Amino acid sequence: MSRIMVTPRPQRSMGVRIGVPSLSLLVAMLLGALILVLTGADPVEVYRTMFDASLNGTVALERTLTYATPLILTGLAAAIAFRVKVYNIGAEGQLFMGAIGASAVALTLPSGTPTVLMVGAMMVAGALAGLVWAGFAAVPKAFLGTDEIITTLMLNFVALAFMNYLIFGSFSFLRDPTRPVPQGEAIPASATMPSISGRLHIGILIAVGLAVVLWWVLRSTTFGFRMRTIGDSPRAARYAGIGVPLTTLAVLSISGALAGVAGAIEVSGVTNRLDPQSLAIELGYTGIVIAAVARLNPIGVVPVAVLLAAIAAAGGSMQSIGVQVQVVVLLQGLIFLSVTAGEFFVTNKVALRPPPPTTIQPVADPVGGGA
Amino acid sequence: MLPVARERCVRRDPWLIVAPDGGPEQLAPISLQVRDLSKSFYGVHAVDGVSFDLVGGEIHGLLGENGAGKSTLCSMLAGLYRPDGGHILIDGEEVHFRSPDDAASHGIGMVYQHFRLVDSFTVAENIVLGHGEGVGRRARRAVEARVHELGEEYGLDVDAAAPVWQLSVGERQRVEILSQLFRGARILILDEPTAVLAPHESGRLFQALRKMVDRGHAVVLVSHKMQEILGHTDRVTVLRGGRNAGAGDTASLAPASLAAMMFGDELAGVGARVERTEQVVGAAVLTVSGLDVMGDHGRRAVDGVSFEVRRHEIVGVAGVAGNGQRELHEALAGLRSASTGSVVINGHDCSSAGPKVRHRAGMAYVPEDRLGTGLASGLPIEDNLVLRSFDRAPHSVAGRLRSGAIRETAAKLVREFDVRGARDGMPVSFMSGGNLQKAILARELTEDHDVLVAAAPTRGLDLSAAETVRGHLRRDREQGRGVLLFSEDLAEVLELADVVLVMFRGAIVGRFDRSEVDVEQIGLLMTGIATTTEASRP
Repeated sequence: MSRIMVTPRPQRSMGVRIGVPSLSLLVAMLLGALILVLTGADPVEVYRTMFDASLNGTVALERTLTYATPLILTGLAAAIAFRVKVYNIGAEGQLFMGAIGASAVALTLPSGTPTVLMVGAMMVAGALAGLVWAGFAAVPKAFLGTDEIITTLMLNFVALAFMNYLIFGSFSFLRDPTRPVPQGEAIPASATMPSISGRLHIGILIAVGLAVVLWWVLRSTTFGFRMRTIGDSPRAARYAGIGVPLTTLAVLSISGALAGVAGAIEVSGVTNRLDPQSLAIELGYTGIVIAAVARLNPIGVVPVAVLLAAIAAAGGSMQSIGVQVQVVVLLQGLIFLSVTAGEFFVTNKVALRPPPPTTIQPVADPVGGGA
Repeated sequence: MLPVARERCVRRDPWLIVAPDGGPEQLAPISLQVRDLSKSFYGVHAVDGVSFDLVGGEIHGLLGENGAGKSTLCSMLAGLYRPDGGHILIDGEEVHFRSPDDAASHGIGMVYQHFRLVDSFTVAENIVLGHGEGVGRRARRAVEARVHELGEEYGLDVDAAAPVWQLSVGERQRVEILSQLFRGARILILDEPTAVLAPHESGRLFQALRKMVDRGHAVVLVSHKMQEILGHTDRVTVLRGGRNAGAGDTASLAPASLAAMMFGDELAGVGARVERTEQVVGAAVLTVSGLDVMGDHGRRAVDGVSFEVRRHEIVGVAGVAGNGQRELHEALAGLRSASTGSVVINGHDCSSAGPKVRHRAGMAYVPEDRLGTGLASGLPIEDNLVLRSFDRAPHSVAGRLRSGAIRETAAKLVREFDVRGARDGMPVSFMSGGNLQKAILARELTEDHDVLVAAAPTRGLDLSAAETVRGHLRRDREQGRGVLLFSEDLAEVLELADVVLVMFRGAIVGRFDRSEVDVEQIGLLMTGIATTTEASRP
C-alpha cells in the first residue's frame, strides 16, 4: 500500500521558500485560466492585458509601484506587530492620522521651506501621529491586558470620522475655503515628494528601505531577539527576563508609526491634499493580508505588495477587452488562497514512501503527561 | 436481563430491575474482570499486565503515584484506547471496545478530570448531546424530568434547565455523573474526581457514590490521595510503574502498607543507596521565609513555606504532584508572584524581583515545562542557548547581536553537554526530550550561578539521559553550589538529597537530614496520613 507521508520540515531551504510560493502562483493562474475559459474569455488575452497594464512598460510600472508603496508600509506595520502576537488591525486608522498629521505640518510650515525639510517634517509628523494613535491601544494592552484587536479596530472608525469631519464637517484649516464642494486644501509644491519617474515618487525607496531596516532589526539586534522570543513563546520570554509589556508597547508603537508614514507618503506623493476618499481605500486592511501571505517576513512583504498592486492596477484595463472587473478580484482571491495553501508544503515535507530514518524525531511524550 | 418500560423517548437503564416490594430500584449483579491488560506508547509501557476485579455494590479504589498507569488503564476500560494485550470481561463475557460509545453501551461510564461539557448549552442539552435525544420541547421536558429524578435519587441535584456556564465546578461534575447515569452506566469510573473540588463538595460526592453502590452500581475511584482511598472505598488496587503493586479490602489495609505498595521499590532501594563522601555544608545561598503563593484558581497553593539551601547541599522536595511544588518553584524563579514572604538569593533580597534580577543574583532555574518555558520551541538551538545572556557582551554589543560570539558559545555548550540532534536553523522542538533537557542545563549551569532550582529535571527521560542530568546536579553540589530539587520520583530525591523536605497541601510538613531519613514517615507525610511530627518540624 503506497502511503503519503507528511513530516514537518526541520529546516526550510531557500529553494523551498521561494519555489513553493512561485509554484502556487502558477497554480492560481492555471485555475484562473480555467474559470476564464468557462466564462467565455480568452485567458491568454486576459493575462497579456493584465501584464501590459501593470508591469509592461514605464507607465504601467510607475502605476504599480506607486500603488505598492503604501501597501508595503501597512504590510510591514501588520507584519512586525503580528510577529509578537499583537494583532494590530488598526493600520487603517493609523494611516489616516498620519495623513492628517502630515497635511497639518505641510499647511502650517511656510510654503517656502526647502523640500527636504518640508517632506522630512511631514514624514516625522505622520509617524508620530500614527504612533500616538496606536499608543491609545498599546498602553492599555501592555499594562491592563485589553484586547488590541477590538481597540485598534474601533480606533479606525474614530480616525475615519475625524478625517471626514476635518474636510466635510467643519471649516478646519485643512479644508480648501475657496471650493463650494468640500475638499482638502492643496499642500504647497515644496511639500510634494520628489519624483523618480513620472508619477512614481521616492516614497517607494522609503518603503523598501524600511523593509530592509526592519528585517535587519529583527535578525541582528537584541530588540529583534526579544521580538522573536515573545512571538515564539511569551512564557519563555518572561523566563528569559524579557519585559514583555514594554516590548509589546514598543512594537505596537513602531507598527503605528509605519502606518502613519504610509499616510504621510500618500498625502505628499499622491493626493497632495487631505483627501478622505482617496485615502480610505482599505490600504490598512490590505496590509494585513499582505503580511499574512508574506509569512510576516519584512522582506517578503515587498514582492507580495507589488504583486497585489499589479493585479489591482490591471483592474481598469479589463473592461477594454470586455471582461468584468470582478475577474481581477477573483484572481486576487485565487492567488492568496493558493499561496496560503502552498504554505503547507513549505512547513511540511510530503513524500510517497517513508523517508529513510533520521536521528531527529519530533518530540512526542504521551506517557509523561501523567497516567 | 429484564425488559424495561420506556418513558416516551427517554431511555431508561436497560439493566434496571424494579424491586418486588416496590422499594428502590436495584441493578442486576455486575462483574468486571480485567486480566493482564497492557498498553505501550512509543515503546514505553504505560500499563503492563494489570489485573483487577470489580463487582456491583463496591467502590473500588485505584491508587498510585502520577505515572503509575491509572489514567491509561481507565482510558482502556472507557474505550478511548485499545489495549495491546489482555482481556476485559463483563459479566463473564469478553468484550472488545471499539469506541467510548461502545464501552458506554456495555454500561461503562467515565468521568474525566477535565469536564467535557459545552458551556453555552443547558445541563439537559449537555446530557443528551450526541445521542439524538431531547430534540423538541416535549422531549426536552422529559429529559429534564428524568435528570431531575436521577438527581433526587442520588443526591446529585442540579438545575437541568440551567446553562452550564452558570454552574460551579462541583455542579459541573454532578452533570458529568448524571450524564453517565442517564446513559445507563452500571460501572462508573471517576478519574481524580476530588482534584477540582472543595472539601465540602468532596463529601457530597462521596455520599452520592455511596448511594450508587447501594443500588448495585460499581464505582472505580482513581486517586493518588491515600486518605480518600482509605475513607471511601471498599477495596483497593494499587498500581506502581504500570503494574499491580498490591490489592485488598480497604478495612484490612494499614496506611503504612498502602504507602509501601505505592512507593515500594523506592523505599526498599534507600538502604542500598550509594554512600558518598561527607562534605562540609557552607553558607546559605537561598533563604525562603514565610512564602505564600496563590495558585491558578485563586486558592492558596503555597502556605507559609520557609527553608534554606546552603552551599555543598542538595535539598530535595518530595511530594505527590499538585501539592504546591509547581507554584513554589515558579515563585522562586520569579515567574509567579508571592503574596507574602521573602526570597533571599545569595544575600540579595529578591522577594519582589523578576526572573532576570534573580538570575543575575545567582539563581539558575530548570523549569518543569521544557518547551514553552525553558526553551522557545520555534527558535533554533543557538538562540535558546543564549536566551538568558543575549543582551550582554559578548553576545551583543550596544543592542547589536554578535552572531559569531553566539555561535561560538552555542558550539561550546553543545560540545560540553553533549547536546545531540541540533541542526542549523532548526527549531528545537524537533529535538528529543533528553537533548532538550541537556540544552537547558547547558545554558543554566554557568560559571556564575550559586543556586540551582531544578523542577522535575529527569521526568520523561530515558535512563541514561536521567543519569546524565543527575550527574550535573551532583557536580553542582561538589563545586560548592546549592541545589533545590523538585521531583515526583521519591527514589531520586532520596538518592540525591542531603536534606529532604516533604510538601503536602502547600506546606512543608516534614524536614529530614540525610542521616535521619525515615522513609516510612516520608511516605505517610506525602500522602497526608501523618501530620507534622515534633521530630520533623523544620
